[in-house]
Order: sequence, then structure tokens, then C-alpha cells
Amino acid sequence: MSGTFAGRRQRKHNGGEYLTGQVRYTADLALPRMAHLALVRSPHAHARIAGVDARAAEAHATVVAVMTGAQAAEVSGPIPFLLDPAGLGGVNADVRCLAVDTVVYAGQPVAAVVAETPGDAAAAASLVQVHYEPLPAVLDCEEALADDAPIVHEGWASNVMLAGSFGPDDFATVAAEAGHVLAGELRIQRSSPTPMETRAYLADWDPVRNELTWYGTSQNPHPQRYVLATALRMDEHRIRVITPPAGGAFGLKMHGHPEETLVAVLSRELGRPVKWVESRAECLLQGGREQTHQFRVAYDDDGRVRALHDKFIADHGAMAAGAGWGMAFVGANSFPSGYDIQHCRVDYTITVTNKPPSVGMKPFGKDSAVLVLERVMDLVAAATGLDPGEVRRRNWITSAQFPYTASSGLVLDSGDYHGVLDQALDLIGYSRRRAEQETQRAAGRLVGIGIGFEMLPEGADVPASFVTAYDSATVRVDPSGHVTVLTGATSPGGGNDTAFAQIAADRLGAEPDQISVIQGDTAVCPYGTGNLSSRGLVVGGGAVALAADDVAAKVRAVAAGMLQADRAQVRLADGLALVGDDASRSVPLAVVAKSAYTLGYVFAPDIEPSLESTRTYMMPNVRHLPDELGRFSTYTTFSNAVHVCVVDVDPGTGVLQVLDQAIVHDCGTQVNPLFVEGQVRGGVVMGIGAALGESISYDADGRLASDGLKQYLLQRAIDLPPLAIGHQETPSPFSSLGAKGAGESGYSAAAAALLGAVNDALRPHGASVDALPLSPPRLLAALQQAAR
Amino acid sequence: MIPSAFDYASPVSVAQAVGLLGERSLVLSGGTWAVPEMNRGEARPTVVVDLRRAGLNRITLSGGTVRIGTTCTYADLLASDVVARHLPLLRAMAAGITGGQQILNQGTLGGSVAAARPSSDALAVMVALGGRAVVASADGERRVKARDFFRGPRRTALGDRDLLVALEFPTAAGLRSGYVKLKHGQSSWPITTAAVLLGPLDGQGQAMVVLGALAGTPVVVGGIRADSPVTEVELATRQAVDSVSDLWTDVLAPADYRAAVAPVLAVRAWRKAAVPAEGRRS
Repeated sequence: MSGTFAGRRQRKHNGGEYLTGQVRYTADLALPRMAHLALVRSPHAHARIAGVDARAAEAHATVVAVMTGAQAAEVSGPIPFLLDPAGLGGVNADVRCLAVDTVVYAGQPVAAVVAETPGDAAAAASLVQVHYEPLPAVLDCEEALADDAPIVHEGWASNVMLAGSFGPDDFATVAAEAGHVLAGELRIQRSSPTPMETRAYLADWDPVRNELTWYGTSQNPHPQRYVLATALRMDEHRIRVITPPAGGAFGLKMHGHPEETLVAVLSRELGRPVKWVESRAECLLQGGREQTHQFRVAYDDDGRVRALHDKFIADHGAMAAGAGWGMAFVGANSFPSGYDIQHCRVDYTITVTNKPPSVGMKPFGKDSAVLVLERVMDLVAAATGLDPGEVRRRNWITSAQFPYTASSGLVLDSGDYHGVLDQALDLIGYSRRRAEQETQRAAGRLVGIGIGFEMLPEGADVPASFVTAYDSATVRVDPSGHVTVLTGATSPGGGNDTAFAQIAADRLGAEPDQISVIQGDTAVCPYGTGNLSSRGLVVGGGAVALAADDVAAKVRAVAAGMLQADRAQVRLADGLALVGDDASRSVPLAVVAKSAYTLGYVFAPDIEPSLESTRTYMMPNVRHLPDELGRFSTYTTFSNAVHVCVVDVDPGTGVLQVLDQAIVHDCGTQVNPLFVEGQVRGGVVMGIGAALGESISYDADGRLASDGLKQYLLQRAIDLPPLAIGHQETPSPFSSLGAKGAGESGYSAAAAALLGAVNDALRPHGASVDALPLSPPRLLAALQQAAR
Repeated sequence: MIPSAFDYASPVSVAQAVGLLGERSLVLSGGTWAVPEMNRGEARPTVVVDLRRAGLNRITLSGGTVRIGTTCTYADLLASDVVARHLPLLRAMAAGITGGQQILNQGTLGGSVAAARPSSDALAVMVALGGRAVVASADGERRVKARDFFRGPRRTALGDRDLLVALEFPTAAGLRSGYVKLKHGQSSWPITTAAVLLGPLDGQGQAMVVLGALAGTPVVVGGIRADSPVTEVELATRQAVDSVSDLWTDVLAPADYRAAVAPVLAVRAWRKAAVPAEGRRS
């Protein structure tokens, strides 16, 4: 797709507002009579709540109210699940805005304190006396699976939330013919999404009209409205959800958090606005990705993988109403990445423990499939003596094989993985690096080169949920000629709003900077599901294109009447409607717009004189009916990338330095390459950070130990070398824009390339690492162990 | 956001400051420890005594002693000719402080010393340089040697009504120094540090090798001289590490890791210090 604006590296159309500090984030909002919420959180990982004594807290200066879980349960119901494991044959447990008689993790909200100032609310919260009767807790998922393990959720027969599998169970048969088998394992630690902006919610109940206006950091405004209506037991149409501009989300802000409902419950009870802003320590309670994989691989003499069997256990923490558990399911569904391995079997078990619940985090479990497959390819390379790139070439799906049905049932759309690898190796100077590596090794340095390939299914449509592969947009031109775009898709800060302006601008001949894009207001935006699963641009943009085309057709019809030309000859460009390329036969769009509304009967009596259209775009390649093997295909776009990473490991300390990183990605047609690169950069830094050291840890009692950014170390700008980024465009044959989701790109391949580079660095010493994070203590221990 | 009420005082003299101290007071020098701890509710003083107007921000040289006021920031140290010439080891440490320009401008050497967090850079360097804490109280002023000042994690010779007003160091001009710090990424606090001072100390060719962030207090490596070969430095460091009973552990690295890297760092700091004499390293 090409146009004047789409495809261009356009800066944010409203960037000036951000640079000058004019943007109002949720935490900036203030309403008259607004009160502040602070939470009392459980210090115990598992306990009964015997009683709550709020008297001292209620007596504290400026405290307005204290609410217990029992009181909240009288006026609200359980929070509906974003994804319900029971829908797949698993088990669920009710989640409420405040714990009623049991707590299942340290940090769980137990009581709410509302005061006139945040300081008073926090001080009073520490005065609330909760009488707990501690219960045995389980903090490790393998222990949770033992026969005598304490049961986390009352009424469950075990600590298994859901177990299942994908693919044929024929490893043994295929292995017998293949000739070689290797086994391995991979442990992945819990990490946290850490957006710059933590969560914040402000609920404003109008007691006269019995209506709620809810402002908050939610990725999904319309579904959020449903969630609030259900939990508050009120009509959905009486709720307006407004999601201000976001400072990053990464999955953290998908709906289902207790505090979303709690502010609304309190506002309704008190008849005044109630606001809550999450602290960084509270934000670090949200995490996930903790999994342990064991795999075996059958391969032949040529390094061709014939069969793969992976078994993994995911530690979800306690039950939640969000999307966290879905990551294990999606991770399993994403095997075997972009490799042509039809005999691929994945068995997964999702366990609950008395740790804070998992929250959905980009890239939503697909990282684990990538990490395992890339590790497999590197192990096969080491076993066969083949170059790691060559092993991948021999195992990838080739361009000619698309659309390709994987063993999981997913139908991969398009790609040219070999082309991406060629470019990436060129970008990093692979042959030169390998030659240098020999010299460096001779000098005693531990330099390693790793290749990481990611294939990311995006744009999911999950039946009976608000995860959809469609979205809607309204495009409107007013009599002055001003263009407004309203979308059901929202932006987590990644800039899809500018892309929507570019798409509309192309079709209407307008300037993107002059277009208003409105997102995140359920009162004015058409129904949509916000941002998740990297679909905002693909389906949101698809809807904008449809609606803009409708309006453009009407504009051209009216202009044709004004210019006395054939409608088919009229073009819209540079703010004009013109006949072909003849600038002398043109009329400004503003004039056409005014004429549409006031002279419609004269110039185009067959056209409805309203320059507005609301359209919904649906991805066509969703399959919810099972195929002959009982498989589904819920994902609609499949982007990919190859990263090559060069590292240096200090043999005396295990400290690692990333020397260089090259990235070549392919997300199909790019509407705005600048924003795609922004997503990729962010994903790379997140992936390297998680692989190197971002590690959520708890004390022996299950309380969060890594509760600040001095304990949970993020990569800083000076930690990493400049990233070399290239791209390839293999359009989607299914999406109208040819685009594929890019919102989750970068993380998985970066982490996998790093793991590969570290193992490459350590191999001459006979050491290897199969657990993340690749912290200095872990690397040093691996070297020391090999030396013995 | 600080969840407890407190009084704030900004005394303009040492005497005035001392008069404000008590069991529930908290002294603020740069605030880089105090304010975050108050925000998290870990420190709940009834009065905060801010030293920044009490005239404690000067660096002076007199009779072979460098005196650094408590509220001198790391940026002040880096800008000081006196420090550059007489305490290059201190300057090297200041240059590597985590946190960039904002922390350099705000964090103070005196505050770090008084806070006595085992992970801080300042402690081992103060011991290596033979520094002394100048402590003021209602009874007057006294000096405490670095090794006696640090009593354990977050514990010093300062009582509730004592005020650290300055640090004094004998000039190390002409001595050779090396400083190495290991951390996990740019935003990490130190995991283990090694500070080395070489040269004719007291005319006996002694060498100071001090390990920081390894234990609750800085660890001095004994039994080496300025002319010791590197292998002896490594061995002596191992022995010193083995005799430590309170190896430090935190969420970023366990004790056995620090014990393993300490000898490696000591050797590297030694080599940095020894380079002018040896001329080259292998």
C-alpha cells in the first residue's frame, strides 16, 4: 500500500502536546471533591481473614471511609474474567475487588481507605488492623503439584488451573527413524512489564443520574465498561469509560484488576470522585512469564528436526480476572515457531501458587516458544557441527509453503525467513565477526555470537471474549472540512493514532497534522476492543480505511457535481478535489464539505448528505470451527524477525556486555516505519533486560523483595550499544493494509539471541546455561562448574 | 509521597543542628537515602534536620589533611582541585557513582558514610584512605577512625545526638591508587568493590587493599606490601574473604558470588594502581 502519507516516517501528529507537557495522563486528572484511595494489602501469602478493625484508621485526619471486603461484597459482584480457563476445561475461582474471607497472596487488597489527601489515606491504611490466621502457603509450582501440597483456592481438587496439549503425540515413533535425539531444559524467571506510567483509576459517580464516568489506564475501554457494569451490577449504558493517553502498557493494563472496580464501588457509596494511583512497588506485584520447560528433539544427520516434544509448567501465582494464564496457553499454541516441524507436541500445565497473579505481558507467552525453539536449533547446531544459521535455514518454513498450517493448527500467512536472516547476517557482518571471534578466543576473551528468530502470531480472536480480530472506526468531515477520526482501537503510547491520521489523510487528501484522532471514550468512539494482541493498527487501521473510503466517495461525488466532471475522474489530494491532474479544475475540500451539507440536493442528490461513516473491519482468516484434527486458528497475522547478538562475558566475574545487536524485522506493510522501529527498539530493550537480570523475587514468606527499580534492574540507555535495525516487508495476504502486528516484536528474538550468544561464548570452556536470567552469578557458576 | 507527619528544620550552624537531634530525628544531607526511605514508610522520623544551610559544604586542605564537609556532593568532589591532587582514589570512586548527574549533584559523601549501607562505594574508600569522621555533639568535637566508625550494616559510631560534620583524610598525593567496582548494569548499586592504595605508607612500603559491599563493613586485606606480586595479592584476598563471618547477600547477588569475585577485583584494582611502576600488564 502506498499513499502520500501511509508508509512514511511521519512524526507524531500531536507530538507538540507531549513535548510541552500538555498531555493529561490519568494521574494528572483532578475533579471537584475528589478523594484518594489507599489500599491495605495482605502481608501473608495465605491466610484467613478473621476480622478487620478500622477504628483507628477511621479516626485518622481527613479519612472519609474505610471499606472491608465483606462490605464491598454486599454492593458488588465478582469481576468477570478477561479469559476464563473454565472455558477450556480448566478451573476458576471468583476474584473480587477486595478479599472477603481468605487471602491467597502477599499484596492482595484486603481493605480500602479513602481520605481527602493521598498522604492521609496511606497513613490511615497502616492503622487498619486486620486479624489474620495464617495458612500453609506454597510458593513453588513443583511443590504445588505434589500430592500433599496446600491447596491455594478453596474447593479446588489440586493446584492445576488448566492443563492441555497441542500437536500429535508421536515423538517416539518419529525419533526411532530420525537417528538422533537430544534433550534439554529451559527455566524462565518471573519478570514484570514495568511501564513508565503505573496504573491509575478515577471513578466519578453521579448520584443524581445514577451514572458513572470512569477514567483509567485501561487498554480496552469498551470491554472495561462491560466489566464495570457486571461487577457493579448496573446497566452498561450508564457507564462512560474514558482512557486518557497512556505512558506504556505492555499488557499490564488489560482489564481485570481489582482496583478498577474498587474505585467505582467507593465512588458510588460516597457520592464523590475517588482516585487511586499505583505505586511502583504495587506495580511490581504484577508479573509473569515464569515457566520451566523440558524438551526432547529428534533430528537427522542433516540437522533437520523431525520431531519435538516440549513439556512445561507455568507458575501463574494466584487466580486473577485478567489475561495472565492465557500466556501459557498461547505460548504452547505458538510452537514450533516458524519451523517446518509437523511432529511437534506441547504439553502444558498451568499451576496456581500463593504468589501474586500473573498479568498478561507482551509478548504474551510467545517468547517461551521462541526461546525453546532457538535453544533447540543451537543444540542441534552444536551436535551436528553446522553453523547455527544454517541449521535454521534447513528447518524453516520456506516462502513457497505459505499459507502454512502448523502442527498447532495455526495457519501462518506469509514470510521469507531466509531473506530476513540474509539481511541480518549482513547487517552484523557475520563472517567478519566469526573470524574476529577466533582471534578474541585465542586471547582468552569469552566472545559469543547468537542468532534469535521470532515468529509471532498476532491479532487473535478468542470466542466468547473481548479479544477480537475486528474493530470499528468513524470518519467524519464537518462543514469546515475538518477531518475527525474516532476509533474503537486505542494506543498504549505506540502511536497508532498518528498512523490512523495518515491512512485517513491519504484517502481524503488532507494533512495528517490537521486530523483529529479521538480514542478511548466510550461515549463517542464506536465499539472496539482497544489495544492488545498487536492488532490496533491492523484492524483499527483497516476500519479507518473503510470509513475514510466511504466519506471520500461522497466527497468525490459532490465535487464532481461542482466541477461538472465524471465522479471517476475526481481525485482528492493536497486539500483539493481535482479532476485528474488539472489544478485549474479544482475546488478546496473545505468548500466541497460545506457544499455537501448545504447544496447536497444541487450537486449530488443521490448521496446521503452526511460526510460520516462508521465501519468495522474484520480479518478474514479466523477459524473457530475445528479442522479435521480438531484444531483452531485464532491468530490472523504472523510477523517475524531475526536478531544477531554479540556479547563479551568476563571470565572472572560473569559480567556480560552486549557488544553489538542487529535486528531485521518483517511485519508486512508498514504504515509508519518510525513507530514500528520504536516498538522494535522497546521490545529489544525489554527482552534483553528480562534475559539479563529483570527478576521478580520474593522472601521466604512470599512477600515481594524486588519492590523497586533498584532491585528490579531495567536496562538503561547506556547499558546497550546502538541497535542496527533493518526491515523486510512481506505483506499479509489477508489484511487490507497488508500490515501485520508489530506491537510485540523484538522481545523474544532479542532474549533468544542473547541466550544463544552466551552459550556460544561459554562453549569453549565446556560450560552452558539453560536458565534465565543470565545474571553474572549464574554465568560465573557455570564457568566454575565446568572448570571442575 | 511520605505517609507520616514530621517537622522540618534547616539549622544554620552545627550547634543549632546538634540541638535538634534525638531518638526520632533524621539527618538529611543530600537526601538520596533519606527521602526514598521516608517515601516508602521505612523511616518515620518526627523531625528531619536538613544540614544544607549549616555551612558544611567546604573542601579544605590544611597541614597535610583534606577536610570534606558532610554536605559536599559528589559533584563538589569531582570539581575540586584539592581532591584531584590529594585524593585521586576518592575522585575515581566519585566518578563512578551510579545515577548520573542528578545523583552526583545531590548525593553527599558524608551522607553515604553516615548511612553506612554495606553496598555503598564510600565506605571501603574511606577505610583505604585512612579517613576519620569528625563528629560533633553537645560535648564538643571528636574524631573517629574509619575502621572504628563502621560497626555493622547501617550501624556507625554515631549516637542519636551525634552529628557527622566532616571527613578528614591524610593527603595521598604521590601515592598510587586503583578503584574497581562490580555492578549488574548501569543502574545497579555496587555488588563488590576493591580500593587499593599503594606506596610508601608510613615509610614501610605497606599497601591498603579494602573490599567493599562484600560484608557488613569494609574488609581490609592484610599481609601484603607495596612490592607484593599479584599472586600474593590474590591469595591474601582469598584468605581475607574466607575469614569474613558476615558476607553480604542481597536480591542482586548472593554471598558466595561476592566471595568469588572479590579476589578478581582486588587484582584488577591492584593492577590499576601498580601500572605506572610495572609499566605494562599482561
